[in-house]
Amino acid sequence: MNETRKWILHRISAIILAPLFFWVYFSLISLSTKNYQEAIYFFKNPLFLVLTTILFFIGFFHVKISLSEIFEDYIHNKKIKDVANILVLILSIIIPTITLILLIYKI
Amino acid sequence: MTDNQNPLSPHLQIYRWHISSLLSITHRISGVVNLFSLILIFFWLIVLSLGESNYELFLLVINSFIGKFILIGFTWSMSFHILSGIRHLVWDMGYGFEIKTANISGAIVIISSLILTIIFWLLGRGYI
Repeated sequence: MNETRKWILHRISAIILAPLFFWVYFSLISLSTKNYQEAIYFFKNPLFLVLTTILFFIGFFHVKISLSEIFEDYIHNKKIKDVANILVLILSIIIPTITLILLIYKI
Repeated sequence: MTDNQNPLSPHLQIYRWHISSLLSITHRISGVVNLFSLILIFFWLIVLSLGESNYELFLLVINSFIGKFILIGFTWSMSFHILSGIRHLVWDMGYGFEIKTANISGAIVIISSLILTIIFWLLGRGYI
């Protein structure tokens, strides 16, 4: 991906994530006082399911760009840097996908 | 390489911290912490899918002293990163670079992130 595009997408993802994080934190803090049934009921709500999925996919997209920026600054060995970037890429695809599967089939 | 006279910067032992550099590195650290909070939410969903008895145990951990400490820390980290991120976005648009303005906006970010964390917990826990 070219750097300018990466920079712009990083900002756009940040703008999408900010309200989502407010929502998810408020929800989780209040869910921490509630029981299992209410938590299940919460994530079964189609709107919340969609919001949680967006949070994970865009969240990990933001993580991917940010971490490769950090690696660029602190890891000087190119091989280690490449491996680190690939690991983050794999994680940022796998975790949101598992989340989506959990939300649809398991909860 | 033996004759390298370039100053090492920033030399952390004698480095005088400024609000700008403090916020810059905290923005990064809080970003990484937010990644862990995302992983905690992921874990939360996994436990939820494992059934009621596991979830009850998870709630017990989350509501313990350490659990609350971690959750409050994550809430602050998220609040800080978002507010500091807004500050960065304003810079990206070309405003707020004067030293005085940057210092004031930095102080506003720190104070508001603390206030926001308190508001989140009061609202989320149903005290307000």
